[in-house]
Amino acid sequence: MARFLIRRLVLLVAVLFAVTFLGFSAMNFLGDPLFNVVGLMAELDCEGIEAGTVEDTSMDRARSDCETVAAARAEYHLDRPVPVRYVLWVSDLATGDFGTSFQNDQPVSEIIREKLPETLILLVMAQIVSLGVAIPWGVFAAYRANRAFDRTSTVVSFGLLSVPNFALAVVLLYLLALRWQVFPSAYESDTAVGLVFSMILPAVTLGLPLAASYQRLLRTDLITTLQEDFVHMARAKGLPPMRIMFRHALRPSMFSVVTVFGVSTGAMIGGSLVVEQIFGIPGIGREIVTAVVRDDFPVVLAIVMLVACAFVIINFMVDLLYGWLDPRVRAR
Amino acid sequence: MSAATRASRQGKESRQRLLRRFRIVRLVRRGRTPEDSPDDAAVRRRLGVGFWLAIVWLVAIAFVALFAPMLPIADPTEVAFGGPRESPSLDAWFGTDALGRDVFSRTMYGARISLAVGGFAIVFGMVVGGALGILAGYYRGRLDQAVGFVFFVLLSFPALVLAILITATLERSLLVVSLTIGILAVAPVGLLARASTLVYAEREFVAAARVLGAKHGRIIVRELLPNVVIPMGALTLLGMAVAVVAEGSLAFLGLSVAGDDAISWGKMIVDGAGLRDLQNATHVAMLPVAVMFVTVLALNFAGDRIRQYFDVKELPF
Amino acid sequence: MAAEATPAPAPLLSVRDLHVRFPTERGTVNAVNGVSFDLYEGRTLAIVGESGSGKSVTAKTLMNLLPRTALVGGDVIYDDQDVRALAAAGTKHFFGVQMTMVFQDPMTSLNPVKKVGEQIAETLRYHLGRSRGEAWDEAEDLLSQVGMPEPARRVSQYPHELSGGLRQRVVIAMALACRPRLLIADEPTTAVDVTVQKHLLDLLDELRRDRGMSMILITHDLGVAHGRADDVAVMYAGRIVETADARTLFFDMRHPYTEALLRSIPRIEDPVKHRLDPIPGRPPELVSPPDACAFAPRCIYAQAGCLDGVPELSGLVGLHRFACLNPTGTERGADALAANRAAGTTAAGLALPAAQAGTG
Repeated sequence: MARFLIRRLVLLVAVLFAVTFLGFSAMNFLGDPLFNVVGLMAELDCEGIEAGTVEDTSMDRARSDCETVAAARAEYHLDRPVPVRYVLWVSDLATGDFGTSFQNDQPVSEIIREKLPETLILLVMAQIVSLGVAIPWGVFAAYRANRAFDRTSTVVSFGLLSVPNFALAVVLLYLLALRWQVFPSAYESDTAVGLVFSMILPAVTLGLPLAASYQRLLRTDLITTLQEDFVHMARAKGLPPMRIMFRHALRPSMFSVVTVFGVSTGAMIGGSLVVEQIFGIPGIGREIVTAVVRDDFPVVLAIVMLVACAFVIINFMVDLLYGWLDPRVRAR
Repeated sequence: MSAATRASRQGKESRQRLLRRFRIVRLVRRGRTPEDSPDDAAVRRRLGVGFWLAIVWLVAIAFVALFAPMLPIADPTEVAFGGPRESPSLDAWFGTDALGRDVFSRTMYGARISLAVGGFAIVFGMVVGGALGILAGYYRGRLDQAVGFVFFVLLSFPALVLAILITATLERSLLVVSLTIGILAVAPVGLLARASTLVYAEREFVAAARVLGAKHGRIIVRELLPNVVIPMGALTLLGMAVAVVAEGSLAFLGLSVAGDDAISWGKMIVDGAGLRDLQNATHVAMLPVAVMFVTVLALNFAGDRIRQYFDVKELPF
Repeated sequence: MAAEATPAPAPLLSVRDLHVRFPTERGTVNAVNGVSFDLYEGRTLAIVGESGSGKSVTAKTLMNLLPRTALVGGDVIYDDQDVRALAAAGTKHFFGVQMTMVFQDPMTSLNPVKKVGEQIAETLRYHLGRSRGEAWDEAEDLLSQVGMPEPARRVSQYPHELSGGLRQRVVIAMALACRPRLLIADEPTTAVDVTVQKHLLDLLDELRRDRGMSMILITHDLGVAHGRADDVAVMYAGRIVETADARTLFFDMRHPYTEALLRSIPRIEDPVKHRLDPIPGRPPELVSPPDACAFAPRCIYAQAGCLDGVPELSGLVGLHRFACLNPTGTERGADALAANRAAGTTAAGLALPAAQAGTG
């Protein structure tokens, strides 16, 4: 177990390193970071101004601008090569300094602290929706495999899997918020209840397609499990069908769903970018879109790292969950 | 002797754990159990009417995409082709948008970017991911670990975040957008290729080829590739569906191919998704949504039938 | 003889003309074709046959465990109740309480994710309404009754922590938890180590006696039935081909298949170099079987008549019955065998080697 944990930890560190280095290099090579900090001042030929070889209409302003540029260079270590800058960024990170946003000088850690809860609420609610829908759905479909309910649900799940998140959001928004006005069309944060209520539509948008894919996996695995001897044994013990489905067959059939649960976290975070945009939720999904468009790379990097971290940790927890699902895994 | 067997068993166990990790133990089902219900088997052997309906739709969309400029439809960029936000009519089948442009013709043109990006991305993913996966699965060892790590990193980057990172920093040409989504396809396709290579590399015919003194390159190309291409090919349409949706999401965020004449379904949907437009001119958003939905559904449905036909296991990604 | 041994007036379980068909891609499989038998309270019936003979399907039919696609015909009457009707109505507390089953493979018949105690206690709680604590204690008690060492520790273990023999004890404890009157044991020892087989069989027999339970013992091994069964039914190709009380069947069998089965068992008193006689040929095809005795192609007694129509089971239920035109141990059978030896082949085309003919 200890070795397993250590291996996971090494993997986590390696993945974080790779992900941040990739993001860091991309942001540095693909755009000009100096321009993003100081704007048009980055165009100034400061060396020329210092040496007096370049004439400007107002040398004083040019000089002070150049000082600003120099300060920015120093602050963000822009005069050093990219790998060095990366190392400096990482060492800042180690001291808990995520850097400051280029846009408004707000510390990145503060931005994250502010925006993360909304996104977490959204993701958790979405997973609750998807599992809450998928488990009973998958169980009933498998119980009457290839009957009318199962066939219908195959069609429905295909439909759900084929609606892009943003399209589903638009359709739900139109039907449930505008047409029938069941749910609010935008984010509310006045009260906790109002917050959760306004998050229902976004959570359903994220959760339903996932529910469809969980359902399909669960159904397939359940049908396999139902042919196992221990299910026959449970029937021979005279237990009622639904008790057998939920108490005996469900847990050994959850492997695929749990695996996808881990993998789908990434997809869900991706989906949250779009959904937060449409429903106006001030979470990190919306923040990263804005930050990317504005080349605000401390913010982008921090969020990318956060997300990668979450992805690795969730998949790690999924590995632990296998042990709960099947005690035989624990023994190894 | 015993050390050797233990080593081989350890290798086997770690492989099995990996296999389970990515759920590929039953990727390619070898035998069919007698308990398989007869209906399932019947479905697998025939592609069915639904499959051909889906293919007809896809062929029609592809035709429209290819020949859009030659078809007798309105110029999609012509502002004030009709009045703003006109409802569907005989003149403008899908109505007009806020700028009075013909939604039908825009939807038809929109298929071009979606299909081009989707097709290119999946081909890129299959070539790059497939090659990496087969090499990793065949040679194992260090190479396998390295490739596995690259795939894991790619997967830990939420797809859309990676995509917006690339498209926001580079010029958003058709090629860049296609490449971006192609990169996203590399890891899943690569894992699939690696998995099927592992399965086949153990089989007798590969061992036989090796005993007969075949070179690595020859084994990979002649023995493994044809077998690995089948599950990969079977999943092409499913992958294309994912790519089309990814392009739509990028377009929705305003990060797909740039330019006024670059019409994309995602962009059209976001244009019509303002609350006022949704309320008063529902068709502007809903009709592209419908066309996109049917296209993705057709890709998924036809893709799934092909998957079943070739008896390839569903993938969790 | 057999009629005198019949103790009670009404059988506990009475099966009449049971048919089971499975529609498949390759055609309809006729798995069980008109099986009838009676089982009296406190007795053991062994159903013996090769794999594919329909013995397991018969057991599963009794327990309502067949897949939904199976087509079932005939009557199963348990203590004056129609079992198939009870099953269709979803009657609670019948299976598991009145009759229950032990499966072949203890490795797969326990739920891998639940502690063995939970799996035993579950039945007690559901059927008998025991509290969690009571059921747990009772589970421990049951484990000690089936001879499980250290039952207190074993209850909270998972199946994978137990050996095959111990697991089968758990399965038996689980089956006996609600004191059923009828136990169907489907090859209960086939999958466990040879060394513990006899032990388990004796345990099962002892528990059955103690509780006055009736048992249907399904096996491919006549040796398992010997000494434990009161009655034996031999199945072949979905039919009972011979049935009698155990003594009659072992020492005065009539059907050539029964004889062949007995010959294929090694016996301790055989000389060391004695050659076992395997049954020639392969088990019959169950999809569209020919209208003939299914054993004829493998039978050394086969005559032209055997290929014309399926022989009926002779006699009355409860007596020694067999379905053969040229029964072994009769003059007719001896004549048939002599004729076949002389011709060097049976009517169904099975070659009889000259060497074997010489010994006869």
